[in-house]
Amino acid sequence: MYNDNNAQTIVEYIKNFTRKNSLFMLAYGTGCGAIELPATLTSRYDAERLGVRGAATPRQADLLLITGYLSTKTLKRVIRVYEQMQDPKYVIGFGSCTINGGMYWDSYNTIKMLDKYIPVDVYINGCMPRPESVIAGFKELQRLISEGKADGATKYKENLDWYRENQKKVLKNWPLVEYNW
Amino acid sequence: METTFIKEELLFRQLETAFENVVLEIARKEAVLVYAPKELVAPILLYAKEKLGYKSFSHLSCVDWIENDEFELVYILWSPETKINLFVKTRIERENPIMENTDTIWRQINTYQREIREMFGVEFPGFIGEKEFILEDWEEIPPMRRDFDTLDYVSETFDERPGREDKQDVRERIANRSGEEIPDFAKKYSRE
Repeated sequence: MYNDNNAQTIVEYIKNFTRKNSLFMLAYGTGCGAIELPATLTSRYDAERLGVRGAATPRQADLLLITGYLSTKTLKRVIRVYEQMQDPKYVIGFGSCTINGGMYWDSYNTIKMLDKYIPVDVYINGCMPRPESVIAGFKELQRLISEGKADGATKYKENLDWYRENQKKVLKNWPLVEYNW
Repeated sequence: METTFIKEELLFRQLETAFENVVLEIARKEAVLVYAPKELVAPILLYAKEKLGYKSFSHLSCVDWIENDEFELVYILWSPETKINLFVKTRIERENPIMENTDTIWRQINTYQREIREMFGVEFPGFIGEKEFILEDWEEIPPMRRDFDTLDYVSETFDERPGREDKQDVRERIANRSGEEIPDFAKKYSRE
């Protein structure tokens, strides 16, 4: 007998399996955390054995790392980059600055909570997180993907108004066109 | 060994004979300070460049003396031959601060002037530079001025994640624990 539900699950399973094992990471560093990534990607920690490697452009990438503090000026570019990435796309917030402002909690020019502006799948805490924690974050993201829980892109589409409202509160002169998905 | 200021003295004498109305000071070895009124800054820079061998312009910075209602602009020059830093300091009024444009003497002053215009609101009439330098769409008073309340701005622009409300001023506790006293000048920076 043909079981439609079951077939869907198998397809989803295969999709998630392939997605989690080929995470292409956009080579875009904000703040100071980007300096941990060369160490993570090169021979000592070798993140490529998990399938994580660099991608040159947003359209080829699956994974966006926000490495460290994010100034409002960079936030404009990050939103643009995030919206150019193609589904499926995942975001990792990197370091305590993205979680609650970190040591820049009273700075006039950096955002304090990243998940108010773009959906975040995994946070890695630490200031800075060492390559071990970065790899632990990648593993956690892979677990979420294989369970089908890393659905930031869908969340962004469904709650676009809420995200736009928060973004426009910080970015005074809104530069982007209004998209129509 | 006693430190001698022979080359500093020489520079001191040269500037003394060239300019009236300036206050000169040998701050330390290889550092000479010039306090000048703002009309004399451009002549001093030009004189230092043409006659004294100051080839290199290191830095232009600004200090906000809110107590005296003044901004202090500090031009730092460097001579690779004598190896002496020359600090040219001038004070301008804080209300409506205007300073002469000097980027015709050294081109790199242009960048510093852009930064100071954005961060302190000091105007340099007649110089060409993009209005925005580091900030974008800034509508408040210039952020490096001391009367700009960063904490106020942050609390109304950004939201704080729940869980950080318990941040406390622990300096008193630490001072008590180690039997020290907090000096008076530090008490006014308390968060309470």
